[in-house]
Amino acid sequence: MERMFPPKKPSTMNSHDRPMCVQGDSGLVLTTDPKPRLRWTVELHERFVDAVAQLGGPDKATPKTIMRVMGVKGLTLYHLKSHLQKFRLGKQPHKDFNEHSIKEGMRASALELQRNIGSSSAMIGRNMNEMQMEVQRRLHEQLEVQKNLQLRIEAQGKYMQSILEKAYHTLAGENMGTGMKGMGGGQGSSSDMGVMKEFCSLNYPSFQDLNLYGGGENLEGFMASNTESVFEGKKRICSYSGSGKSPLIWSDDLRLQDLGTTSSCISPEEEDPFKGDHNKVQISAPSMDSDPMSEIYDTKPLMVHGESVGNNSHKKFEGSMKLEKPSPQRSPLQPERNNSPMINATSMAQVN
Amino acid sequence: MEIDMDPDMDVIHNLHFSRHTTPSSDDDYGCNWNHWSPLVNWDAFTGSHDDFHNLIDSIVSDGPAEYPSPDDHAASNSPSASITEQDDEDEETAAADDSKGLRLVHLLMAAAEALTGTTKSRELARVILVRLKDLVSHASHGSNMERLAAYFTDALRGLLEGAGGAHNHSKHHYNITYGSHHPRDDHHHHHQNDTLAAFQLLQDMSPYIKFGHFTANQAILEAVVHERRVHIVDYDIMEGVQWASLMQALASDKTGPPGPHLRITALSRTGTGRRSIATVQETGRRLTAFAASLGQPFTFHQCRLDPDETFKPSSLKLVRGEALVLNCMLNLPHLSYRAPDSIASFLSGAKELKPRLVTLVEEEVGSSVGGFVGRFMDSLHHYSAVFDSLEAGFPMQGRARALVERVFLGPRIVGSLARVYRTGEEVEERGSWGEWLGAAGLRGVPMSFANHCQAKLLLGLFNDGYRVEELGPNKLVLDWKSRRLLSASLWTSSSSSSDSH
Repeated sequence: MERMFPPKKPSTMNSHDRPMCVQGDSGLVLTTDPKPRLRWTVELHERFVDAVAQLGGPDKATPKTIMRVMGVKGLTLYHLKSHLQKFRLGKQPHKDFNEHSIKEGMRASALELQRNIGSSSAMIGRNMNEMQMEVQRRLHEQLEVQKNLQLRIEAQGKYMQSILEKAYHTLAGENMGTGMKGMGGGQGSSSDMGVMKEFCSLNYPSFQDLNLYGGGENLEGFMASNTESVFEGKKRICSYSGSGKSPLIWSDDLRLQDLGTTSSCISPEEEDPFKGDHNKVQISAPSMDSDPMSEIYDTKPLMVHGESVGNNSHKKFEGSMKLEKPSPQRSPLQPERNNSPMINATSMAQVN
Repeated sequence: MEIDMDPDMDVIHNLHFSRHTTPSSDDDYGCNWNHWSPLVNWDAFTGSHDDFHNLIDSIVSDGPAEYPSPDDHAASNSPSASITEQDDEDEETAAADDSKGLRLVHLLMAAAEALTGTTKSRELARVILVRLKDLVSHASHGSNMERLAAYFTDALRGLLEGAGGAHNHSKHHYNITYGSHHPRDDHHHHHQNDTLAAFQLLQDMSPYIKFGHFTANQAILEAVVHERRVHIVDYDIMEGVQWASLMQALASDKTGPPGPHLRITALSRTGTGRRSIATVQETGRRLTAFAASLGQPFTFHQCRLDPDETFKPSSLKLVRGEALVLNCMLNLPHLSYRAPDSIASFLSGAKELKPRLVTLVEEEVGSSVGGFVGRFMDSLHHYSAVFDSLEAGFPMQGRARALVERVFLGPRIVGSLARVYRTGEEVEERGSWGEWLGAAGLRGVPMSFANHCQAKLLLGLFNDGYRVEELGPNKLVLDWKSRRLLSASLWTSSSSSSDSH
């Protein structure tokens, strides 16, 4: 796999790796294999997604109806059946979900790029065949870039995670020593400290096993016994620290509570064992209001200690896979396209 | 597409006032200024300065402007009329916001002008700034313009109080900007958390950070393909986030020959009072661990700068056969008040060391005519675009934006204005660092299709309004609407020859 394309590479189509592709007059790209397979180009897939959305989602749509809606000659039921199946599977919330969401987010720009390839200056002075090959090459390159970009963004996200962990540990460690009394004055500063506590639980699965409590002699025992249920939370969390626009799925079942200054990690299903420990867990209610992070990452506050802010009763999955509200506003031109698969995804997540 | 930096009134109308704002709690405009005027003998201040005089008059009189009203802010054409009526609240709010925004801009510009003048006009500046202080607020419930104006007011106040000395330290900036908010001893500690949170937010809310990192990294990857050893010297590594994705890219290519050994040398500064999330050593440890997790061969070095932050190429440890890259990130969220000499010394190293590649990411500034006031207005325009871009993506998340503004944008505004003020003519002559490199004899490296492609795809992940612009074969620029924000450019020494192995 090449990771780099030198700018002035001559456009020869090295076909030893790929089957040759021809463009039929229906606009489909078919391979010239003995067994002709359809290539799902970005554009074609886009139309597919549109059609599916029109039909009410991947569950409601059938290959037959999709075929009708798409109206692409040469597209058979067979093609659509397998593609639809893959599409449905792709909607499942699992670890790769965030990759998909990055892809979705890039879809519009990818399309635009693709459209512009044909008109780039590289096309001048070439015959049809050369142009076609150049287009294919560029397209391929673009897909590579897209793939790599996803991986790179994720890598960056993981790295940020390690920073947060360290910072979190430092914070918790320092404050454990000082205890809680000196932190009454944390109120005014809680708007800042509050940021950190919100912050830690948001994106990164490994935080779930941190599970720290202030003054924690019982810590180790508690952590050990609860690791199992805490890890469950991992599945629901998509740690993509990407953009504001592309669907970020933050888990808001798990959220750190401020114990004055120490943060703790609580998940809803573990409420019961916590109730006994209420002397260790405190809530800093005012900091909720002034918390900038929650605006973006849309966590649900979780109150133990007898108080409840009404969200505790949420189903396990309900909060975790929702389309984040702070998705930045896009012009009306493309939003449905990008968002509808996500909406379907969330409903499927809940079913899951 | 160049923004006209004529310090006339026209430039003010180009500022984008957002309409997605909640009404400010401070609703006393239109009243207090007149209340002030009898106390001040305007003639004494503004004497010969006609434009200025008119400006103050127009502000004081609070009547229709003597200069053409902006066409595209139709609602604000008659500020005085809409002030007193309460009929259509929404429209009025927007109009009021716009008109208040305009007023703030006028005041700011007036203050900036006053600052460049004689002692008398400095007094005027003080007066204006006090007035501004009443009108503006850092708080998240205010409008973009109010918060923006708050930071600019802080910056100007700092300059006025003679803080624009030769060695401005971050701590001082802190006091100006945060003094009233965090009068605690351990506010540095608080700021660490804030900084981290704000950093995370900035990454997620806007492409500023990723644009620079990814463009530079892609260029590096292309430049060092087939190399066995790569050595990157990073001018300002901060937390090292940039290198995470580079490492991933280097380590992920499992086919073909094994990837290169990566060595990163981070320049470290001895100064204190820096806002930093991590020391350079911590960053090094983190990067080492991350590389290990990827199976990427990696070593980390630190290179201390002189106390005056000059970089000496000789203090670098070089290894035979390695491809050398100099990485220079000067944009948000990097600190803006790196002494120009320091940056120059680093980039000069490019001449001496003959690296394979120099990656430079810096903020794009408009043309620097018009002296301090021109630069001031350009800066105002610039940060207005930045604030707008954040708001456009996250209109409901005022608190998050306010945090980012407070931690990163505010200090940057203060720092860059201080620099402009201090160095005056010098800055105008220098222009951008890219130009400096060009003038120093380095030649540009063409930006590849893949890189350009990556940038466009990256922007697709964020809200509409961002664009990538190719400003020369070796330079990509991130725009917000029509305003250039930052640029990534690639350079190499003309006679660069890698030590072949």
